[in-house]
Amino acid sequence: MTGRGIHGPAILFDRVDLTLGRTAILEGVSLHVAAGTVHAVVGPNGGGKSSLIRALLGQAPHRGIIRLDWPGDGPGTVAYVPQSVEFDRGLPLTVEDFLAVLCQRRPAFLGPDRRMGYGEALARVGMAGKERRRFGALSGGERQRVLLAQALIPAPDLIVLDEPMTALDEAGIAIFDSLLADLAAAGTTVLWVEHDLAQVRRLATRVTGLNKHVLFDGHPLEMLSPERVFDLFSSVPRRAATERIAS
Amino acid sequence: MSFEALRALVQGWAGAGLLPAGLTHGFLVNALLSGLVIGPVLGGLGTLVVTKRLAFFSEAVGHAALTGVAIGILVGEPYTGPYASLFGYCLLFALLVNYTRNRSNLTADTLIGVFLSVSLALGASLLLILASRVNIHILENVLFGSVLTVDDRDLTVLLAVATGVTALMLPLFNRLLLASFNPALARVRGVPVKGLDYLFIVLVTVVTVASVKIIGAILVGALLVIPAAAARVVASSLRGFFLLSVAFASVAAVAGILLPVQLALPVPSGGAIILAAGLLFLGALLARLFMKGDEG
Ligand SMILES: Nc1ncnc2c1ncn2[C@@H]1O[C@H](COP(=O)(O)OP(=O)(O)O)[C@@H](O)[C@H]1O
Ligand SMILES: [Mg+2]
Repeated sequence: MTGRGIHGPAILFDRVDLTLGRTAILEGVSLHVAAGTVHAVVGPNGGGKSSLIRALLGQAPHRGIIRLDWPGDGPGTVAYVPQSVEFDRGLPLTVEDFLAVLCQRRPAFLGPDRRMGYGEALARVGMAGKERRRFGALSGGERQRVLLAQALIPAPDLIVLDEPMTALDEAGIAIFDSLLADLAAAGTTVLWVEHDLAQVRRLATRVTGLNKHVLFDGHPLEMLSPERVFDLFSSVPRRAATERIAS
Repeated sequence: MSFEALRALVQGWAGAGLLPAGLTHGFLVNALLSGLVIGPVLGGLGTLVVTKRLAFFSEAVGHAALTGVAIGILVGEPYTGPYASLFGYCLLFALLVNYTRNRSNLTADTLIGVFLSVSLALGASLLLILASRVNIHILENVLFGSVLTVDDRDLTVLLAVATGVTALMLPLFNRLLLASFNPALARVRGVPVKGLDYLFIVLVTVVTVASVKIIGAILVGALLVIPAAAARVVASSLRGFFLLSVAFASVAAVAGILLPVQLALPVPSGGAIILAAGLLFLGALLARLFMKGDEG
């Protein structure tokens, strides 16, 4: 994987509008994600980050242009790490079964396909040896790690992450760090929705603030200065809010 | 090999004492064959039904068969196998439920409750209108299943349906499951979620209809649910879940068909099959309690 140069796509969002029911979720969102970078999207809850991802994945009706420019001949592998998976926690499904259901053709009940490298992917997220644990019984952080592991099979060219760190502990964060570094070094494009701004400052190449509109777009260290952050997460005008806190 | 030859073979073995004596009767061989087909297919498909929370749906489709039979008799199809009306009505019912579910803000159970009640009302009304025309035993067979009436045409329909369903279910198993875990992730991995949703509904429906003859309209849905539920209770992996469900459903089907004849009990096959499945479920629950007890 390493040494292939940049193999991830560039992504162009051009005046993207997304309306669900009668609510405008995204309005005139224009954004460029450079190939092979770690591009973070931050913004308040309900700001439309997950919706932007759904539009990118072709799963939300939108207006405007969303274009992926692949470096090679055709589209490469897109991986997606959802915010959560909803299903019956009591289902008799091991971690390995879960990966098998996602990654292989052979019916998962016949057992894992050894060629798929489940053990290796799990080791990369610090879940080595937990193949036989019941998926529904994992902690939130462990489940999140398995969701990261599935995105590594097969090796992705574009990886789309929706708040992948929410339940991660210290060790999990360290693993996520190195995973992101590996992906970046390999030339994978990473589109990363995250609410933890400290992590974004630390790990992203570029950051976009989103709350229905693009609020800002630039280098994380410049963009995520304290006042900007305040603007981003406050729906009331800043002066009013400051006064209220002061009084 | 034709059914005729197979039947002769089994009857020969039964006559020689190698198989239960009941199997010297041709009709019972037919019933047993259908049980051996129904069991594994319903058991396997049942794991998906239970995981996708379609238990109530599969019950409802079974009940729709009642109305399908009534319509069949009304339009002059043979009493013993009104398959055109059965398949036609049940597929219509199932597709309509799924279509409406995707387009209303009602939860699936509410919506199925509505459709089921209306369909049953229609079926019951039709049957009462037809009451003067049909033998009441036919109704009994439709409702609870019968081993006496499985003919070669029924076997052919069942085999064709079972083969088709298995041929689709096995290669699509992972994708059918994934679609219910997280549709967005499934689509990213190339799963046509909506299409598979409808396909699965169709698979459940045709298998249900093909099994009505032996299990009966009232109980057919239960063989999609109980064995899988029992397997779920005791299994700790997907493999165990699937294999146990297949095993439980097959054992229940065969036991429910053979035991009433062996013991000369006047119990309909559908009732006996589901009672057997219920016993297995009870056993599974107890086994789990004991396993839990061991863990402390
Ligand atoms: N299916 C839907 N129908 C209507 N509104 C929706 C739907 N899905 C999300 N929304 C709304 O869209 C807005 C953006 O949601 P989302 O993209 O999930 O935000 P974020 O991920 O930034 O927290 C929210 O206000 C949410 O209520
Ligand atoms: Mg979100």
